[in-house]
Amino acid sequence: MAFTMHRIAMHRIATHRSFGALALSLTQLLAPTIGSAQQNAPAKAQTSKSAASVVRPFTTANGEWPSYTGDARGSRYSPLDQITAANFSTLEVAWRFKTDALGPRPEFKLEGTPLMVGGVLYTTGGTRRAVVALDATNGELLWMHSENEGERGAASPRPLSGRGLSYWSDGKQSRILYVTPGYKLIALDAKTGARITTFGTEGEVDLKKDMDSPILPDLVTGEIGFQGAPVVGRNVVIIGAAFREGGSPKTYRNNKGDIRGYDVRSGKKLWTFHTIPRKGEFGYDTWLNGSADNAGNTGVWTQITVDEELGLVYLPVESPTGDYYGGHRPGNNLFGESIVCVDLNTGVRKWHYQIVKHPIWDFDLTAAPILADITVGGRAIKSVALPTKQGVLYMFDRVTGTPVFPMEEHAVEKGDVPGEWYAPTQALPTKPAFYARNGATLDDLIDFTPALKEAGVALASRFKLGPIFTPPVLSKADGPLATFANGPTNGGSNWPGGSYDPETHTVYLSASNASPAVLGLVTPATGASDMNYVQGIAPQPAGSPRLGITVQGLPLLKPPYGTITAINLDRGEIAWQVPHGETPDAVRNHEALKELKLARTGQPGSVGTLVTKSLVIAGDPQVTTVAPRGRGAMLRAYDKATGKEVGGIVMPAPQSGSPMTYSLGGRQYIVVAVSGGPYSGEYIAYRLPTATTR
Amino acid sequence: MKGRNLLRALTFTSLALSALVVVTALVPATHVRLQVRQRTTWDSVYTDEQATRGQAAYNRTCARCHLESLAGADVSPALTGAAFLSNWNGLTLAEMHGRVKKSMPTDDPGSYGPQLITDVIAYMLRVNGFPAGKTELTHEGDALNGVQFSAARP
Repeated sequence: MAFTMHRIAMHRIATHRSFGALALSLTQLLAPTIGSAQQNAPAKAQTSKSAASVVRPFTTANGEWPSYTGDARGSRYSPLDQITAANFSTLEVAWRFKTDALGPRPEFKLEGTPLMVGGVLYTTGGTRRAVVALDATNGELLWMHSENEGERGAASPRPLSGRGLSYWSDGKQSRILYVTPGYKLIALDAKTGARITTFGTEGEVDLKKDMDSPILPDLVTGEIGFQGAPVVGRNVVIIGAAFREGGSPKTYRNNKGDIRGYDVRSGKKLWTFHTIPRKGEFGYDTWLNGSADNAGNTGVWTQITVDEELGLVYLPVESPTGDYYGGHRPGNNLFGESIVCVDLNTGVRKWHYQIVKHPIWDFDLTAAPILADITVGGRAIKSVALPTKQGVLYMFDRVTGTPVFPMEEHAVEKGDVPGEWYAPTQALPTKPAFYARNGATLDDLIDFTPALKEAGVALASRFKLGPIFTPPVLSKADGPLATFANGPTNGGSNWPGGSYDPETHTVYLSASNASPAVLGLVTPATGASDMNYVQGIAPQPAGSPRLGITVQGLPLLKPPYGTITAINLDRGEIAWQVPHGETPDAVRNHEALKELKLARTGQPGSVGTLVTKSLVIAGDPQVTTVAPRGRGAMLRAYDKATGKEVGGIVMPAPQSGSPMTYSLGGRQYIVVAVSGGPYSGEYIAYRLPTATTR
Repeated sequence: MKGRNLLRALTFTSLALSALVVVTALVPATHVRLQVRQRTTWDSVYTDEQATRGQAAYNRTCARCHLESLAGADVSPALTGAAFLSNWNGLTLAEMHGRVKKSMPTDDPGSYGPQLITDVIAYMLRVNGFPAGKTELTHEGDALNGVQFSAARP
């Protein structure tokens, strides 16, 4: 099997300049499966007629990394093989690039993944989200572009350096595209960094101006932005939409997160997809009482994925307005928390699947959908796999929208928050199994010692516990204070998403098992919001015990706190799972645990993974201080076949962006963004030492 | 002990009257290794009243992103729990104060006064289970440099 798939992968690489023709034939082969669309996805699946149009002639196969996830398919895969289990721990710093001077002050949240094309590394950094081009061999600054957006930039709901940018070339001209904190799409000449003056208006498209529903109250302070990397499929650049944290919105009539496609040459808007249907559009009736007219958010703030062969786009949509209270939007609320497949050229919906009906848990779809050509029960399937906060990997036929493994509807608890509308059931796949903790029950609580277990149970008694889809509660001072659960908000997979190995059909996912959410609702302070309820905790009477979700500084949830999981997609089975991350200092050195021999706990936090020929590579999400190395965070390598840790090096700060790799001058590099705590953003490039020294 | 911490410890020995600096020197062949019992966040470095003041300030300013529970959300890190404790372990409260001053709030960095930040740090210490005492935490002079954030009780 592996050999066959390898051949297919090589064939694809060899024929990348005639992708279109290959794609068409594959599409025809798959034609018999079309028409079996599930009830949830009534739209006919059709492939684009223009599949033979230009496909960017870049993959990671030639040692480059031309897109945020290496390709437009969400893979984070490179076949490079110079860095191996045998030599990973000997990696040296090739160069470092500190981002402090790219803006008026240092930034501490550097989340970018650079691109590397033609020996040049492109990335974003600094508080104004500057774009830099660096010599990929030594980090020398070639050019820098920055927009000072003043008040508009400062008012951004998604400020700072962002997650990256995109590259496009027609063979004659090469462009860099990115979205500013103030929500402008900028096109730059990849060679010089100068604006492409024929794109939009003097090189920019004001994304706030181009909405089907006006952005309120004005272009400067109107709430909408995007910190992800725009994705380019063929000649279309697709832009997501993001907002402020959604637990306590000022209004349930928030701006709407429409998704748009633009011509990469002219900047002309090609299409808009309404993630909240307008009157007369499909799905409008899933918002009772016409609530679609008022509801907002429902954008896509994470990475969008494109199948350039099929001409299809996969949109992972977030929650509608009110992350934890949906009383102003009764109904299932399409396309909230849905994966939506639209045509690359027209934006017309092909199919969709609503992952969570009537979202009230902040199960925003967080991660780039992963395109995987797999074989299930002897049948070839072009699938899309979606990592989630729930720790569930949802898999669909990406042409038809049919689930790869059957979905089952489960009755879920109905809450009692006044005015709330509850979906009676939620769907979960029969395979693969959960790869992260979801919900929280007594069995999930700290149990290192009987005393700690008792303390944990006592703390947990102030909260409502339950399995996945246990609803939020009105917060009461005498309990329950909130629903306590891992999964909502920050659990499972988040924006770093996963990686996919096209040779073995295996997905690798980092997940957080101990990033609990506290889902309590309170009435908003006077004048703070027109919502009936917002996220909060009831005020505690004076002298009451400290409110927290830790037990003597230890996580209330038990280890493993964070993991990396390998899932074989052909079988829908977990191949291996390992704790990821050094045991946190607060745990390793805890006085109550000194007598115990703790297995490595891993660390809470979702981190980006990189898959190469033989390794899965990911950094720790936290700093630890372990003798003899002192403060630092490990960048680790695992044998991708077994999950065995085979190497590690110390970084000065946690991995805060996802690693990428490239080859130049016969040497393989790994670049990773680090930052956090007092350590400001820095890109660090590693490579093996030269064999000889002078 | 890392050189940076050692230097800091030595620099502040003179002013850290309450810092309980105990120095024991072990002298191997080529370098000096010191063990320093520096004042830490376990030494009751703030008052309850101050933390309550900090809580009000936090809820007014920080909670919109980091949440009232300090649990963080999609784009804002948690200010409680193992990750927070580990990331700051071994650093000083001066570094934490400086980080907040430099970068928060993201839409108007530098706009928080030093006292507000100090009070909010006191509140963060309380939420994370560090004991309160009889003397307020102060940013005056170099006092915050004399308090080390320590994830586990020394």
